[in-house]
Amino acid sequence: MRFVRTMLAVMAATMLAVVPVQAQEKTGVKPGFTLQPGTARIVLLRPSIRVGAQSTAGMFEPNADWTQQARENIGRALAKAQGQLGNTVVDYVEPVGADAAALAEYQALFDAVAQSVIEFQFFPGNRLPTKKRKDQFAWSLGADVARLPGLSGADYALFVTTEDHFGSTGRKVLQVFAALARVPVTAGVHKGFAGLVDLHTGELVWLNADLQMGGDVREADGADKRVRQLLEGFPGRPAAATVVASAGR
Amino acid sequence: MIVRRLMAAMLAATAVAGAGSAAEKVPPLPPYVAAYEPTNVDERGAWMIADEDERRLRDSADVMRDPALNAFVRGVLCRTVGEDRCKGVRLYIVHVPAFNATMRPNGMMTIWSGALLRLRSEAELGAVLGHEFGHFELRHGLADFRNRRSGTDLMAWASVLVANSAAFQVDMVGGFYAFDRAQEKAADMIGVRYLAASHYPSHAAADIWDRMMGEADATAIGRHRKPDQRYAAGFFASHPTNLARATYLRSAAAELPDADGSAGVDGYRAAIAPWLPMLLDDQIRLNDFGGSEYLLGQLAVGGWATPLLFARAELYRMRGHPRDLVSAAGFYQEAIARGDAGAEAYRGLGLALMRSQQVEPAKTALREYLRRKPDANDASIIATLVAS
Repeated sequence: MRFVRTMLAVMAATMLAVVPVQAQEKTGVKPGFTLQPGTARIVLLRPSIRVGAQSTAGMFEPNADWTQQARENIGRALAKAQGQLGNTVVDYVEPVGADAAALAEYQALFDAVAQSVIEFQFFPGNRLPTKKRKDQFAWSLGADVARLPGLSGADYALFVTTEDHFGSTGRKVLQVFAALARVPVTAGVHKGFAGLVDLHTGELVWLNADLQMGGDVREADGADKRVRQLLEGFPGRPAAATVVASAGR
Repeated sequence: MIVRRLMAAMLAATAVAGAGSAAEKVPPLPPYVAAYEPTNVDERGAWMIADEDERRLRDSADVMRDPALNAFVRGVLCRTVGEDRCKGVRLYIVHVPAFNATMRPNGMMTIWSGALLRLRSEAELGAVLGHEFGHFELRHGLADFRNRRSGTDLMAWASVLVANSAAFQVDMVGGFYAFDRAQEKAADMIGVRYLAASHYPSHAAADIWDRMMGEADATAIGRHRKPDQRYAAGFFASHPTNLARATYLRSAAAELPDADGSAGVDGYRAAIAPWLPMLLDDQIRLNDFGGSEYLLGQLAVGGWATPLLFARAELYRMRGHPRDLVSAAGFYQEAIARGDAGAEAYRGLGLALMRSQQVEPAKTALREYLRRKPDANDASIIATLVAS
């Protein structure tokens, strides 16, 4: 219980001051990296998906039904997007036992690296001294990622994470009253990121992150839109598809 | 003003609800439902998050998976809360050297390795696990979530509508912690009920907190602070104080009819014995000389076994005052004299003697270490010490 308590306490302390920071850059690609259509086999790891509501004060209220709908819709949308990626995408079969522990560590590592990219690369004013060179994108999970079981025939791993807190009615009413009192209150959190890891070298070759995403993942159309936004700037996609995706934004 | 009066009324209502769940009398056990499924949106959401977290914990490298140890701990849980109830729980032993156990709404229970080091009997382990099971059975996670949500909602409205709401906000935050403490007390009370219904003696629950106070005092003294046991909990305290818990658990145990069964001291000691060196090694790295020394003294009540002597020697050598090195060398020698000490005892003895300027005896001990463990990962640096 102590963990949950601490988390809730921190949330309670911060929620009134939450002002989402707008990322100045959303996409990073390793310089010179291109993915020719039809040349690579991409493995999709189990997407991390959380959907729920946002209480009046801003607490996340997880919703199991919405999350389940989003999981199905995003899965379908990702399968549909395969054509646009120009390469085969297969679902990763999760290992059991000791291998599962290794996979869990790599998923946690990917999350940590992705968060670091968002924080220390996508905000130009916040770049680490070693990441300041122009057009630089040097991030890696380490070459050992290829040793995960079931990845021997694959070239790239695709990670997808989305989190949605839909503003409740109470939150929206509070927003109006707060606006009258000249207090900025936001309703809703919709963030997500997707990344592509080269399984031969462990390098992160592409990352797309957006803290204010569109598309209602609880519905099929919305999930299509969300997946289009998640895969925006994907290095392997044909030029035409990129145009369509940007237009659909 | 109306708003403020409304707030005060709601605040009073919350406080009453919190106090209500902390009844002084020991409540009877609630009826049990097998294979419970969450019913409403909030509860299903809480289970979903807990399920996702459990996927991660299940695969975590920090979980101790030894089948014998897991079977033992699980056996104690089942004997405490009953065979039917314990089926709803997945129990994970997590390698963290602190005294804690946790429960999630979906039935994911953890107990930390530091708790295994500090408990003395199956009955005490049952008291801790029964407390956590109480959180699950009483659906505390859900109630706490709702309490925080409605409370923070009120705070958000107050911050917008009420001109000077600081005092109200402080009251509400205090209310969250008071609610948590009431839940912990309710879990303690149901835990002691399980213990009384099992064949374990129910006073074990209070015994734990007596020793926890002793350890906290020893830690404080070791760190040159004043030992401070209070009855009233602080503003931000998530749990009642150890003194309060020891007191009300002791009187609850006296009130309850108790079976005449054994506390299972020997069974507990035998089950933990293979893990004792590792648990002690974790403990002495916590930089808590006073607390560790107290703990070792408690463990050695029946006599100083070799792992205890070795751990005590390491503890003194790590603090490293000249007098500590003399004590440490003595403890290493005692451990070696018992005949079943590991090669590391010779290593520690050698290093302690070396720093006490007793170079030749030190080299003899270090040579013995290298002879017993030629492939040790510090073999080359120890060899240079011997050669110097």
